[in-house]
Amino acid sequence: MSRRTGRTLFLAVSLFFCLAGFLISLLTGPVRTGPGDLLRLLQEPDPVLSAIFIDLRLSRAVLAFLVGAALALSGAILQGYFRNPMADPFVVGVSSGASLGAVLATALGFEAAAVGFSGPGLLAFLSGLGLVSLVYALSLRRGGFKVETLLLTGIAAGSLASALTSFFLFMRSDSYDQAVFWLLGSFQLAEWSQAATIAPWLVLCLAVSAWLARDMDLLALGDETAQALGSPVRRVRKIFLAMSALLAALAVAVSGIIGFVGLVVPHWVRLLIGPGHRALFLSSALVGGTFLLYCDLLARNLLPAELPIGVITAAAGAPFFLYLLHKKR
Amino acid sequence: MRRRSFLVAALLFAAPFGAPQTISDDLGTPCPLPARTPERIVSMAPNVTEILFALGLNGRVAGVTRFCDWPPEARALPKIGGLVDPNIEIMRSLDPDLVIAFRGNPLRLVERARKLGLPVFVLDIGEGLDALVPLIERVGRITRTEARAAELARGLRGRLEAVDAARRGILSRPKVFVLLYGQGLWTCGGASYVNDLIARAGGINIAAAMPKKWVLYKRERIIKDDPDIVIILARSAADFSAGRDRFTKLAGMGSVKAVRTGRIYELDENAASRFGPRLIDVLERMASLLHPEPAGGRK
Repeated sequence: MSRRTGRTLFLAVSLFFCLAGFLISLLTGPVRTGPGDLLRLLQEPDPVLSAIFIDLRLSRAVLAFLVGAALALSGAILQGYFRNPMADPFVVGVSSGASLGAVLATALGFEAAAVGFSGPGLLAFLSGLGLVSLVYALSLRRGGFKVETLLLTGIAAGSLASALTSFFLFMRSDSYDQAVFWLLGSFQLAEWSQAATIAPWLVLCLAVSAWLARDMDLLALGDETAQALGSPVRRVRKIFLAMSALLAALAVAVSGIIGFVGLVVPHWVRLLIGPGHRALFLSSALVGGTFLLYCDLLARNLLPAELPIGVITAAAGAPFFLYLLHKKR
Repeated sequence: MRRRSFLVAALLFAAPFGAPQTISDDLGTPCPLPARTPERIVSMAPNVTEILFALGLNGRVAGVTRFCDWPPEARALPKIGGLVDPNIEIMRSLDPDLVIAFRGNPLRLVERARKLGLPVFVLDIGEGLDALVPLIERVGRITRTEARAAELARGLRGRLEAVDAARRGILSRPKVFVLLYGQGLWTCGGASYVNDLIARAGGINIAAAMPKKWVLYKRERIIKDDPDIVIILARSAADFSAGRDRFTKLAGMGSVKAVRTGRIYELDENAASRFGPRLIDVLERMASLLHPEPAGGRK
């Protein structure tokens, strides 16, 4: 099988699972519904069915897909950026930093919106970017990274940010549900306006990362080589780092911390279609969105009460992380 | 002068045709006051369910939480989930014309339900026992059962006054330690309405100085405070006797007066933990436990 047909097949299978995921999301939920109800809604408007299908289930599925795509793209970028397959917005600390910013904004009453960003969203972006820059600076040794240093620095900085997040959450004693939301993630309160906030940024980041994918391929050869081959290394690095933080912050601001999506998805995709970054970025977004869609289906249907989605992604992702660590040895 | 008479005339004419009346909920959100009693009410808290049933709205409650087990017929109603995790989809599917939320329901969820077009009315008036009757009257107002609520309120106020009258005749105020059945010595602090119940029944809560609702009390402090009476909040008789045995066998408890005199009593945790009409039953029982002597003609 040639590489080209392999990719086409991969794309077709991913799209099929993605669409099936959306259909299943529409048809399953605590209220029993069947395809007949969906067809009935298409024929004549019904306020209850429309609220359940469109405002609750579809908005939630779309948001889960967008967040999954953002996290997976962020992970794919970070893995290329750090030349390290273990990087991921959660592991590197961006997600924890972003959630600290969001919680801080809420605690300080900084809720105003600007350029399509809410106060928490903006602060999430800034603190996520700050944290990943810090981790970057601390783990940089003579122009290269040691895997262990990067991971440990990221985990330590992330834990510190999580501790501060918990501190601010528990200062406000009424907020058990808020704590679970920020620390383990949920799509329970998904609504269309959230999807509309992150969709344009996601599309922009996808376009820019596809456009700069060639430079990311060159970065894999080392910064000096990439520079010698004509890539504006420093600028490219800055843009990618900002995009990874932006994507993670968008995801965190609407759904809390959801770990491991950015780690496992680019891995699967790389195994199936090879390391070229343009295809990797676009496919990671598609597969990441689909993956989170199915995780959310499990989160809301596995038990009578809803599970935080971070529990599901961690259960799927952490063993994979361990496997990668073991293989490296 | 002329202006004022114009205003009066305008009001007189406007009133019958004007916009429907609105009533603010306890978060300050204006809600239209229903023209008549809502038909499909969703209750988001067990005490709200109890109040709705006490107001005779039995047939009009469309959904309750999984904790709503009183009165027993509430158990058969559709469940919307728990207190902190009600399911919006189920709530929407019940197509309610009134949703009553209580403190403890997450605010973000209340807001989400509102955005979905659900008519949510949030109740969050004071913590003290004095807030109970106004709370019931408020539920009566929003469900347009004002007459029934006024009658219920009159009855409850009368019983409160009877307890107050009996208290004035007492000779001493026993020291009380309330124990919540379970792990550890959890008791009610000064911010809890259980503290109010004790004071109103003519006792002194030894943990009244703690500025919280529920606090973990230290064993030495119980020994030092030496309560005359221990009241165990338990779900069942079995829990009560297990709790009593565990408490009396704790090292050092033998010296405590309540243990020596055997004044350890049971109180229904289920009724005492719901901020609803049954709280007055709990108060009367507490008063009779604290002052068994027939003072002021109490039964």
